[in-house]
Amino acid sequence: MIGMVVEEVGTVIDLLHTYLIHIFSQYPFLKPLLIGFVGACVITGILFVAGMFVVWLERKFSADMQTRFGPNRVGGRYGQLQLLADAIKLFTKEDLVPETADIWLFTGAPIIAILSALMMAAGMPFGYVEVFGKQYLMAITNMDIGVLYVEAMAAISVFGIFMAGWGSASKYAVIGAFRSIAKMIGYEVPLAITVVSAAVMVGSLNFVDIVNFQTSLSFLGLEHVPAWLLILQPLGFFVFGVSLLADMGSKPFDQPEAEEELVAGWGVDYSGMRWALIYFSEYFHLILGACLFVLLFLGGWTLPFDMPANLTLPVFFGKVLLVILAVLVVRWSLPRYRIDQVQRLGWKILLPLSLVNLAWASAIGVML
Amino acid sequence: MMPMDEIKDSEMIVHLGPQHPILAGPFMLDLRLEGETVKEAEFTLGYGHKGVEKILEDRMYISCIPVTDRICYLASLSNNEVFCNCIEKLLDVEVPERAQYIRVILMELSRIQSHLIGLGEFAEFIGFMSMFMFLVREREDILTLLEMITGARLTHSFVRPGGVRLDLPENFKEKALKILPDFEKRVREDQETLESDEIYIERTEGVGVVPTSLAKEVGVAGPVLRASGVNYDIRRVEPTLVYKDLDFKVITATAGDTFARAHCRFEEIYESIYIIQQCLDQIPSGEVRAKLPKTLKPEGEVYCRVEDPRGEMAFYMIADGSPKPYRVRIRGPAYATLQALPPVLEGVYVADVPAIIGSMDGCTSEVDR
Repeated sequence: MIGMVVEEVGTVIDLLHTYLIHIFSQYPFLKPLLIGFVGACVITGILFVAGMFVVWLERKFSADMQTRFGPNRVGGRYGQLQLLADAIKLFTKEDLVPETADIWLFTGAPIIAILSALMMAAGMPFGYVEVFGKQYLMAITNMDIGVLYVEAMAAISVFGIFMAGWGSASKYAVIGAFRSIAKMIGYEVPLAITVVSAAVMVGSLNFVDIVNFQTSLSFLGLEHVPAWLLILQPLGFFVFGVSLLADMGSKPFDQPEAEEELVAGWGVDYSGMRWALIYFSEYFHLILGACLFVLLFLGGWTLPFDMPANLTLPVFFGKVLLVILAVLVVRWSLPRYRIDQVQRLGWKILLPLSLVNLAWASAIGVML
Repeated sequence: MMPMDEIKDSEMIVHLGPQHPILAGPFMLDLRLEGETVKEAEFTLGYGHKGVEKILEDRMYISCIPVTDRICYLASLSNNEVFCNCIEKLLDVEVPERAQYIRVILMELSRIQSHLIGLGEFAEFIGFMSMFMFLVREREDILTLLEMITGARLTHSFVRPGGVRLDLPENFKEKALKILPDFEKRVREDQETLESDEIYIERTEGVGVVPTSLAKEVGVAGPVLRASGVNYDIRRVEPTLVYKDLDFKVITATAGDTFARAHCRFEEIYESIYIIQQCLDQIPSGEVRAKLPKTLKPEGEVYCRVEDPRGEMAFYMIADGSPKPYRVRIRGPAYATLQALPPVLEGVYVADVPAIIGSMDGCTSEVDR
């Protein structure tokens, strides 16, 4: 009707808002579900972007180390968009499943691999954000058993690798899968013991407690000494660092996918999108492993003096970036161990050292 | 082929090849594995057969030279050399002394660049990708020198019966004497980086030992033979060209493992640099090519050998007085060296297989010809 007067004009957003309030008042259990869903989308999105950045960083960085150029065409001089182009290529490739493959294991493996990384991210805090005078912890959840949870989720990825290797029904893949299990048994025990010693010293399994513990301490009249576990547990730092390299599948420990003898190891039959998922899950492990390292040993988002809450995120990610660069240096400047040498390293060197560190951590923890 | 019905439940057969990332050329290596241990190895050659010997029978002598390049592109100059050597012996031609020196320089340069690629691939096979890049970067200098002389970076086709194609370029001596010490310094740096690496030492020491007896039995050649403690170098045993006037050590090692083989290659690079420097000091002026008829028609039978980067490269030529060779038989070093693989591979870990193959520096192209 022409000339009809409408009292108030609302947008679609208003409609959605009204509708959601209505729904939530009727079905209260939907609210946490929706929040969880949005949170999951955000963390996934951030991780994918960060993963692409780290892949680009590694390609440029390794190229610099080896006097090559690295990506230098797509998206400008530094090949900034190379990874986007690669992702588009991978996601539009034919979805190939080998005839002899076990379809459930083969298709399930990338999902488990990526899920393990994403679940890890869900348990980690990254710092604080202050909005309108109120501080928010940047984390999906802040669990009291956060350290244990993240460790457990990290360990699950080995199932993904084994499923991929076994399900591919290829000899190279099966050998790679066996290697990844053997390697995992070698490094996971010292890794867990070191994490436990960190928790023992702090007296909590909560990440926020562990980070707050590391803020600073006064020592021999010196103020603002960083109480990082790197300083309090140098042995634990070493053991954790080496085990974490193994956990990430970084260079001296990348036996499961040794290109030279096993072509591509457990991932030999994967291509296209599935391969991209596995590939990304490896880089997620690199990023999240670095996050875990910073949280446990490098004082998380704190510096040994007071600073505004909004600085915590940049400080945290700056530290993570440094750890990632250190991992890349190691990755591109060392040859690969043989699998039996990894076992020997894990059981004969790292495990005794981690036990010594546990005793040390208990003693110091009591004194502090 | 391995009999499939004799395979136990705990074992499996894994094929390395014919298409596999570690193989520059195709050959098949079947490994019977129990867990990670190799129980038995068997290898099959012939996937890259080019029929070089037959092609040579159908060409004029001078047009055979580019074909000999293709036997192994890393050793093309020594292949040229041994082929031209055969013709010179049959025609009884004296090569001008300047040409002899140039040929020695060329052979040593090609030995250096071949060793660098071999070492780089070997480092890559144990997972040290960066070292491959470093050594290939150093190789660039040597290729620059080769390019100055021959105009090509690979497949040079530069040696001619009775001499070489062209004289050295004008400023070659200055340039070479400037580049080589710097090059040697950087290669020594790379060697130290590699050989001081704990993981590298753990991966290579005592791995893939070729005992002296086995090396002699199967006729292993070149640095692989010398790393097993046999002092045998064609440059010493049967010197061609001006090698008898030059001072150089024959590098040997006693261990016979992959570490020793890589070490011998590194040391040989320095010896080659020393030889080139001596040649540049001693080289006389004069002609670089003897006068020969336009169409070569040698007659008779001859067997010639030189020290290839990989060992003893020998040609047996029958010429019947026509402008084409009647028959050329090529006896390459890599084929004999690879014969040591199956016995050596027994009982090693599968991760060491690429390391051992890499340290043998086998060239499949040359093996199959």
